Parts: sequence; structure tokens; C-alpha cells
Amino acid sequence: MGKLRTIGRRAFLIGSAAVVGGVAFGVYAARTPHDNPLIADLGAGEAAFNPWVKIDAETVTLIVPHADIGQGVAHMQAILIAEELDIEPGQYATDFGKPDAAYYNTAFAEEGAPFMSRDESGTAETMRTIVGYATKLLGMQGTGGSTSVADSFTKLRTAGAVARETLKLAASMESGVPVDQLKTANGAVELPDGTQMAYTQLAAKAATIDPVTDVVLRQASEWRLIGKDMLRQDIVDKSTGLQNYGIDLEMDGMVHASVRSNPRQGGAINGYDATAAKAMRGVKAVLSVTNGFAVVADNTWRAFQAVNAIEADWGKAPYPAEQAEHWKVLSESFTDELLDDEWRHDGDVPAGLEGGEVVSAEYRAPYVAHAPLEPLNAIVVVTNTQADIWTGHQMPRFVEDYIAKMTGLDVANVHLHNQYSGGSFGHRLEFEQIRYATEIAMQMKDTPVKLTFTREEDFAHDFPRQIAMGRGAAVISGDTIETLDLSICSASPLASQGPRAGLPVPPGPDMQIVSGAWNMPYKIDNLRVRGFRAPELAPVSSWRSVGASHAGFFGESFVDEAILAAGLDPMEARIAMCDYDVARKCLEAVAEMSNWGSPLGENRGRGVAFVSSFGTPVAEVVEVTMTEDGIKIDKVFVAADVGQVVDPINFDNHVKGGVIWGLGHAMNSEITYADGMAEQSNYHDAEGMRLYQTPEITVMGLENQTKIRGIGEPPVPPAAPALANAIFAATGQRLREMPFNKFIDFV
Amino acid sequence: MKLTVNGTEHTLDVEPEMPLLWVLRDELKITGPKYGCGIAQCGACTVHVDGSAVRSCSITVGDVDGDVTTIEGLGTPDSLHAVQAAWVAHQVAQCGYCQSGQIMQAASFLDLNSEPTDEDIDNAMSANLCRCGTYPRIREAVKTAAKTLNEA
Amino acid sequence: MKIKAIIAAVLLSTSVVQAEEINLEVPQNVTLEQGLEAWARMYEVVSHPRCSNCHVGESDRPMWSGPSYGKARPHGMNIRAGESRIGVETLECATCHVGSTSDQPHTPPGVDGDWRLAPVEAAWFGRGSLEICGQLRNPETNGGLSFQEIAGHLGHDVVLQFAWKPGGGREPAPYSLEEHASDVLMWGAAGMPCPTE
Repeated sequence: MGKLRTIGRRAFLIGSAAVVGGVAFGVYAARTPHDNPLIADLGAGEAAFNPWVKIDAETVTLIVPHADIGQGVAHMQAILIAEELDIEPGQYATDFGKPDAAYYNTAFAEEGAPFMSRDESGTAETMRTIVGYATKLLGMQGTGGSTSVADSFTKLRTAGAVARETLKLAASMESGVPVDQLKTANGAVELPDGTQMAYTQLAAKAATIDPVTDVVLRQASEWRLIGKDMLRQDIVDKSTGLQNYGIDLEMDGMVHASVRSNPRQGGAINGYDATAAKAMRGVKAVLSVTNGFAVVADNTWRAFQAVNAIEADWGKAPYPAEQAEHWKVLSESFTDELLDDEWRHDGDVPAGLEGGEVVSAEYRAPYVAHAPLEPLNAIVVVTNTQADIWTGHQMPRFVEDYIAKMTGLDVANVHLHNQYSGGSFGHRLEFEQIRYATEIAMQMKDTPVKLTFTREEDFAHDFPRQIAMGRGAAVISGDTIETLDLSICSASPLASQGPRAGLPVPPGPDMQIVSGAWNMPYKIDNLRVRGFRAPELAPVSSWRSVGASHAGFFGESFVDEAILAAGLDPMEARIAMCDYDVARKCLEAVAEMSNWGSPLGENRGRGVAFVSSFGTPVAEVVEVTMTEDGIKIDKVFVAADVGQVVDPINFDNHVKGGVIWGLGHAMNSEITYADGMAEQSNYHDAEGMRLYQTPEITVMGLENQTKIRGIGEPPVPPAAPALANAIFAATGQRLREMPFNKFIDFV
Repeated sequence: MKLTVNGTEHTLDVEPEMPLLWVLRDELKITGPKYGCGIAQCGACTVHVDGSAVRSCSITVGDVDGDVTTIEGLGTPDSLHAVQAAWVAHQVAQCGYCQSGQIMQAASFLDLNSEPTDEDIDNAMSANLCRCGTYPRIREAVKTAAKTLNEA
Repeated sequence: MKIKAIIAAVLLSTSVVQAEEINLEVPQNVTLEQGLEAWARMYEVVSHPRCSNCHVGESDRPMWSGPSYGKARPHGMNIRAGESRIGVETLECATCHVGSTSDQPHTPPGVDGDWRLAPVEAAWFGRGSLEICGQLRNPETNGGLSFQEIAGHLGHDVVLQFAWKPGGGREPAPYSLEEHASDVLMWGAAGMPCPTE
């Protein structure tokens, strides 16, 4: 299928926003830099060299605008600046900065254009550039899609270099020594005689000159920080209880609020009786909010107690009430009318399927909650002229737009003060806590309102990962997979999410339905991957690794079944079929790390899976033992290629965390609906992985690909299929539906 | 009502049935102990009462019959407890939200059993949930802390 | 070794708090049939999840089972009560099961005493009527207690009283503490009979 033909009708999907091809974005506007948001607030003697570096007489402040949701992105961004600025960790402060268009994410375009990430053809690159212009014009500051390193890598090193060269020029003007005789290190310019001129001393002078923008970035061999072991800047605070999250903030005159909205997501409230609640100690007010009510009290627990004391009459859910109906809708959506796109068609699959005995299988992936450990919360204060919000969010400017729309205030007078978050996994792309905190604050003007969701409310009002169903059909000839056909159906997470963010439903097909499956790096004569879009059911949202979390499971499980049907070894066959060098090296690495092929003994098995998502290829091998009490996951081996590992320790921690996320939810987590309500309310029935179940995980970071990629999500998708494939190897039982504990016990 | 936290005695005017967690966080503004689940499923709220780990969300302030220590009282950046030092050395935290509870649980556990086996660690530390999946580093940090404590 | 010393200390300290008054008068002229009927009611109690989940025998893993569970499974979070039966080797039961029981669903219940597993000999989980009956009348497996002493311990061992006041929307054990004690006495007065089948 020709790429150019399809581009015309496809929208350019950019994160959760869409820009239709017809939007006018002139090259001039796209090339003009955004204003530097630091300029407006500069005091006398303070210099801002670009939107990321600000220096005054006391402090070098590095602005780190990506949201830190636990991935250590504040540290990573600062390191990239510091590498070129010649300043050491500990010598600078970091600040999330004000939300601003200048901080638009340059890497959203990489996954926004409808091409495989490995496709570096002129057409693909051109389309990425065009989508990049659009993200810039929209000022899409955002954190997601594992883009933070890719967005930052060149941009922030350049920002550091610009600041450094400008400071050198300032030092030259002050000292009379030519620039080419100056050196920089440890946050200071050094003169040939050894005199140190600290950057902070030079700020006043630097503020009077134009930044030097003609800079050359250093070669990898010259790096002092990038790629070396280092201490993440937040580790000490996070080991001593000193790290403040949004939920820990306190304001003068602040009140504490809790909400309950219809547990049938989006359903109405027909009435409620707050008589008992109003009489409870510390309760200041009971207020109506969209589809529910809020209690305002002098203490969080008292607000929780009062919410529990209110009886409400809830309306019906705007989606099927029972889980079985959701599955029925999916199973009936593999139709021509609901074909979202034929993403890949090599050879002739219909003819291939006619040519022999068909091996087929059906797979399911359930709804799953994000459930980051810090429940949703926000502090909002609304006055007649201004609104301020303190919360952790991945799309800062959307938050300001959202509140501006709600309050009628000019967006220039709405300020988000972004906070460190206790996890997100996609939950902090949504606006529930912002909406409710603002609704309450609008009814209590001039009072800071701190809204804290109970864990139960957080579960009930999560927008879970989409449910999905996959159907595979393959024809084997001798020991060759001749034909492989994969059809995947899910509701579109982007279509559900967009309108809640105040955006239109993105037109065109949703690549997330097939993400991680359509780009499988295998040469098979007849290979087709199609996406089918189920009608909207329960509202869903981006969940760590989004579409690849289901499509990767379906694709790599079915490829495994086809390989076994052909009588081949799952690792050798994958390597033999692999037509993408970077991917094959990941597979070869895990084969060697796991000593693939060596005997494991009775009741033990290995499984392998490979998924490339967000441009990062990841191969994983899982080893399990079938014990008397169930499956024990013994070891996992991972090889991932991000082009350049910036912070090796954090990389290792992150890959392990992604594997644990992928395995834990595949084992035991789902959201199911009964009477329109999520049946799971807290961690007792959506456990994820616990320490005792955690395998020994060995990680290798490869650097074979030319582009810089992220690692937040890509280790997740291969974990579930590698586990299912290992369980099959150990027991002969093929698990085609998550969570696996519905069918087999885990110890 | 009197309550001693990190060596300081406080006088409180609260309902005895208020969980200790909310007394610490909202009344005394001690925010190291975190609210994660409210039902002792996550352990983020773990504090010590007379040295023993307790889920502060699941004990009412009226039932507290000893001195309370929170993460803030265990050690500070200038004077880290051996468990905290191990957490820093292994760079355990990602989002960090569960780590106050993990550290308080580990400190109490190592006080009871300073030579834990891998199985002991699995048994002691599996009621503390980490959504980021930092468990491999928690295991290593507990072992390092045990070694430090035994050498002390 | 430190752990051992602590276990010994725990086992020596029997907390007797808030004991309930139980009528320990032994009924007279109880027939065999009445004794077997009393046992049948007793079995309903001892096999109920509120009781049997913590009478797990050799295992040191409390169980989660009952009407709201699909199937019985060990307590989540890899909870082990250890040799001490109160988890002191690694993670004390009282880390979570502390103080009074909350009415909120899914909260850890507590009593004014040590939350713990029953002794190893009192193994009831998953066992049938005949087997448990045999264990309860055998001094070697019932802690060397007379039936009067068995009834008496219901009154002063506060952790048992949780079974009838479980809170949090949990289903209580059948009958009541008083009725159960009186069934023990009736069964004992009839000679501790066990069903033949």
C-alpha cells in the first residue's frame, strides 16, 4: 500500500491533539522562535539566555519544563544543560518554570506521523517535520509518549552551550581577555591566570548583551556527565520524606475537599441527602459538582468521612452496564464498516489464507486502572481576576486553557504551578481533579481549596486502558510461516481522551489500535495487520505504553504460536525472520544474556517477545517455574535500544520498573464493570506486582540506532507476551487473555 | 489528647477515631507519611510506634499508646539512618511516593531481624506497594542496610 | 539470636483484655442426639471463613476466602505469620491489624489484643466435620483442654470474638459467641460425640 496515497486522508496525530492537513501553518511562523518566557519576569542583574537558563547574582537556575512523574526527567533535563554549560550537579537549582509555548515538545512529531519509527525515508522525515511545525504552532508543551529525552537531547545541550558562550563573552568584556583564551568549569569562567569568574558574578554583565547563538555541541567523547553513573538530584529528598508532592502542599486559609461523583462514569446525579454530613465535625460546606457532590471541611479525613455519610441517587451509565456486553461489542466489531485502517499488507494475505490449513487464535486485553500511588489532588484558588492551581500534570498549558474556559478568565491570568507527582502512568493526562477542584473553588472564591481524591474515587474515576481483542490467522508451509494475518479491535483511546482535554476527536485512523503489532520487524511473505475501531464503550485513556500494551501482547503471542506450529524455536525463528538490524541485535542480545537454548529442567520454561513502541525496540526473555502452588517468575532479561543512554542508573531502574509494570498487570489486574460501576475499588483487587513476586531482572542498553529515544514505556509491551510464551513453554497452557490469574495461579 | 511525634509532644483536639495518618498530615503538618490507599494495602503511610512499624492509616489516634516516629524523625540529609543511606546509595526511588513507607518498614524489620535472608526480605517487604516497580533496588538496599547495621 | 528472644517474650505475654462474660454452667441430661446437633452448629462456626481463615494448621499463611472471593487464596502481600504466629520474624500482623476494626470495607480488622494465627494443632481450614471434631476432643490436638476450658477460652481470647463482630461489611460467623459457647458445653456434656459419617 503506497504511503503517499494514505497521507492525504490521514490526520496528523500529535499526542492527543489533531491538526487536520488543511490548517495553515506557514514556514515563516513555524521557524520563528517562541518568545522567551523568562524575560518578562527578569529583575535587574538577572540574565535569561534562553527559556531554559536563568542566572542571577546568587543562583544558576535551570528550567526543566517536562513534568516529573517519577521518571527523573527534571534531573535528566538539567544534566543535558549542565553538560554544555560546564556546571556540576549541586551547583544549580532546577525549576519546572511557567507553562509556555516555548516549551513545546519537538518529539511528539516522531510518533505523530503515521510511519513506522524505523522508517527514515524522505517522505517520513518530511511528514515528521511538518507535524513538528504544527506542535510548535500549538505550543504543545507536554510529557508523554516516551519523548522527553528525544525532545531534550539536542535542544537543551544547545541551551547550555548558548549560555556558556554568552557568559564567556561577558567575561571577556569584563576582563579584556579574548574569548578563545577562556575556559569554563564548575559554574565559572576561568581566565588564563587561573582567576575564576563565577557565572553568578557575570549575570549582570551577560544580561546586557545578546546571547551568542552560534555554538557547536561537544562530541560524545568529550561528555563528562551524559552516559556516566550519577546521583539523581531528587534521591536524597525522596529518601528522607522531604520531597513535596502536590498532595503535601499547604496554603494559608486552605480548606480540604473531597468529591464523590457518579461511580457510573459520566452518569448523572438525580439527588442526594447531605443532612447528616452537614452536621459532622469540621464540615464547612456540601456543594454540588458535575455529576456529584463535594464536601469542604477543615481536614481531609473529615471531608472523606462526610462524603461517605451522603446517600445519593445515581443515574445510569452512558455505556453498557455489564462487562460481558463490552466484550460482545468488541467481538462484533471486526467488520468492514468498522475497519479503521489496513496498516500493513505485505504480499497477498487473502490468497495466502486460502492456500493451506489455518492456525487461528483469539486474544483479549482488559480495562486496567493507572492507579498511581499519589491519588489525584489539586489546590485551586479562584479570584475575580485570576486563578492559580498547584498540581502535577503532563499537559501544563491544557490545564490553564481548561480552567480559563471554566472560569471565563483570560488564560494569561490562569497559572499552573506544576508539582512533582507520585506516579502517573497516563493518569495525569486527564482533568478530573482539575475540573472538580475548580468547580469547588469557583463556589468559594478567594479561598485555596485542596481537593484530595480517596483511593476509591481515584479507581472509580480513572479512565482505564482500553479493552481490546485480537484475532490471528496463520498458514504454515513446512517450517515456514507463509501467511500471518492479525486483526485488532479496540475503542480508540485518543478519541475518548481528546474531547475531555477540550480537543476535537482526532479524525482519521488511530495508530494506537495496532501500535507495536503493525511494525513487527518480521519478513513474512503474506503479512497483514488491520485495526478495527469499536464504538466508544467505557471512557478510556492513555495507559503506560497505550496501544502497544494490548497490540504487542496479541502480536507477539500469535507470532509465537505460529512459530511453534511451524516446529521452530521461538528465538531462532524470530532472529531468522527479522528484517530490521537494530531489532535483531536486541533479540541476539537477550538470547545471549539468557543463555537461550540451555536446558532449564523440569517444569520450567522460557519465553521471548520483541515489541518496538515509541521508536524503542525492546526484546525480553522471561523464565518461569511451575511450582506446586503456581507459576513463579524467576528471571527476566531485557535488551533495549534508545540510541544513547543518558543516565545509566536511572535507565536500569526504569527498564526494570517497566518490566514489573507489564508483568504485574498481566498477572492480576483488570477493571470490570457491573451495574455500570468498576468492580475494583482499591489495591486489594488490583494488586500489580509485589516485591516477593519480583524476578531477577538483567538489563542491557544498546546504542545502535541513530535517533535518540525514550525508555518510559517501551519495556512494558514485551513483558506480557514473553510471560505468556514462557508459561506455555513450562506448562503447555496457552494464555490468550489478561489477567492471567483468571486461568493460572502465581506464587 | 497528647501525642509525641519525633520527640516533640503535641496537644491535640481531634476525634479519637481519626486515623493517625491524618493527624500527622493535616493537624501536625508532618507530610512524610503518605496517603495511598487508606486500607493498609500500600504501606505508604508507615510510621513507627515505639519502634514498631504501623500503618498510620489503620490505627486511630486514640489507639496509639507510644511515641511516634515518622520518616522525618528517622534521619535527615545531614544525618541519614543506615536504611536511608542505603536507599540513596542504590538510588531506589523513582516517583518516591511509597519510599517513606518502604524505608520505615525496612528500618523496623531490620531492627527485629538484622540478618535477613532473601525469603525474610520477601516476607517483610511485600506489603509495601511500589507502583513504579523499584523492588529490585529495594531488595539490594535492604541488604546493604543490614550489612551497615551489623557492622555498626 | 534476637528473633527467638522476641518470640519467647510474645508467647509469654498473654493479653487478657475486654474479656466477655460467658456462662460456663454445664447443661445436664444432654442426649447424644442433642450433642450431635450442637456439634453440627459448632462445625458451621469453625468452618466459617471468619474462623477457618486463621486456623490454617502447619501453614503460616492466613487465608482470604468467603462469599466475596472467587476462590480461597492465601492472604495477599505474601503475609506470613511465622513460627511466632504473629509475624514477628518479618512483619508483625499488628503492623496493619492494630487497634479497633473500622467500618470501612476492606480495612484490616483489629482487636484489643494480638492479631495472630491459631496454634498449628488447631488446623481447621479446608477440613471436614469428622476430622475437626476428632481433633477438638483429643487432648493431644486441642491443647490439652477440657470442653469447659474450650468454652472458657472463647470468652477471654479476644481475637476470637472478632468472628462475630467482623465489621467492614464482612459476613459474621453464624450464631453468636454465647450460643457457640453454650453449644460447646452441650457437646461436651453429651460426651463430645462426633458424627459417624
